[in-house]
Amino acid sequence: MIIIGEKINGTRKKVAEAIRERNSDFISELAVSQADAGSTYLDINAGTAPKREPEDMVWLVETVQSASDLPLCLDTANPEALRPALETANKTPLVNSLSGEKARIEGILPLALEYKTHLIILALDDVVGIPDSSQGRMAIVRRLTDMALAGGLDEDQIFIDPLVTTISTDTENAKITLETIHSAKEAYPTAHITSGLSNISFGMPLRGIINRTFLAMCVAAGLDSAILDSNDRSLMETVMASEMLMGKDRFCMGFNKAYRAGRIGPALEKRNLH
Amino acid sequence: MENAETLTQAIIEMEEEKAMALTRRLLEEGTAPMAIFKAYQNALMAVGKRFEEGVYFIPELILSGNMMNEAMEIIKPYLTEEKSRDDQERIGKIIIATIEGDIHDIGKNIVATLLELNGFEVKDLGVDIAKDQIISEARELDADVIGLSGLLTLSFDPMRELVEALKAEGLRDKIKVIIGGGQMDEQVRDYVGADAFVVDAVSGIKLCKAWVD
Repeated sequence: MIIIGEKINGTRKKVAEAIRERNSDFISELAVSQADAGSTYLDINAGTAPKREPEDMVWLVETVQSASDLPLCLDTANPEALRPALETANKTPLVNSLSGEKARIEGILPLALEYKTHLIILALDDVVGIPDSSQGRMAIVRRLTDMALAGGLDEDQIFIDPLVTTISTDTENAKITLETIHSAKEAYPTAHITSGLSNISFGMPLRGIINRTFLAMCVAAGLDSAILDSNDRSLMETVMASEMLMGKDRFCMGFNKAYRAGRIGPALEKRNLH
Repeated sequence: MENAETLTQAIIEMEEEKAMALTRRLLEEGTAPMAIFKAYQNALMAVGKRFEEGVYFIPELILSGNMMNEAMEIIKPYLTEEKSRDDQERIGKIIIATIEGDIHDIGKNIVATLLELNGFEVKDLGVDIAKDQIISEARELDADVIGLSGLLTLSFDPMRELVEALKAEGLRDKIKVIIGGGQMDEQVRDYVGADAFVVDAVSGIKLCKAWVD
């Protein structure tokens, strides 16, 4: 499972503060703890006003890279901020993200192609927004994925995001995402499927149990990546169990090793070993 | 005896079928449509309160909103002689939209629902709406407040342009502007030139109510 650690995001208050104050210790710690928890990529979102964003993104990229070896997921819709971040990144990053919105096709896609990055493709555009059917979402995904492939990216560099909308506003919403995952996997077998899942439980009680159950269902449908809080232990337990149950964990070694290392299950010091 | 109070309780307790049946029966028995409407309004206010308290969640908001809409259809034929409820009952008028360049609408929809529950006349223009359309709709409605939603940083500039345009048209003193979204803070509010920013729905409603009081 490709885990994109979501925590370095300037829309979170403490991170915004750290960015403003150039508190590199705080950011480094977030990077290290997410890496230790099993992240594959670290998402970097400055979340600042467009004018300040280029400078803030570059600072974040430099700070995170000096603390961790993980590749970065550059999370911005602003080409002015993306370019300097791409220039600063020392490993092939994942660009987050292309959508069917005109500004992103014109601003983000050319940069992803120029730097031959990995690329997240969102199933939305500026004509219909987020389509409320998997057919509608796939139409956008096909259009954008074909553009990226024609532009020189390999299929396995593409991360398709089927999008998750809240179950609290429409009880069909989870099924639409699951169907889109199925269709995307069928249309582009070697592409990755990723998403931020926690939207599903917005406006509901017991969000954790909803998120974990939905994650397992998405993995069963073909999701092989997720943007999440890798420090959320019970969520990571579900990640590992789902992948194992789908036959993607040889001899269950990933799961068992994570257990023995204390990354899942009770903390090591709390176990009664005989 | 079943009365408007029983109806209010049924709505509050999410007993949809009972509420609809009761609405029909009370109307047939001659209860004033206005009293029915008030029963719904009271119920929706109680529902909103439970939402604030963390007892109810978004599905309860939506279901109660749906009950109200359904009830309005039932009431309509009875309303012909009564004056439209809107002018007398509504405490303020608000235009709400996700600004051009952004398509996020969860927060906006919740705010619009809560505003209606709290007695505002709300015109929800949708997502990715150009400033000129928002201003002309606000002028037409004679709005007290314009509520702008945006989650993306890219929404800040269009919001600022809208405030500038309001000034240029001499409407800025007449209409309050409130911006909402996960990324809003004092810095953004200042940049946009809005009267207030909010990051959650409930405080937005409180502010709007204070403004029209």
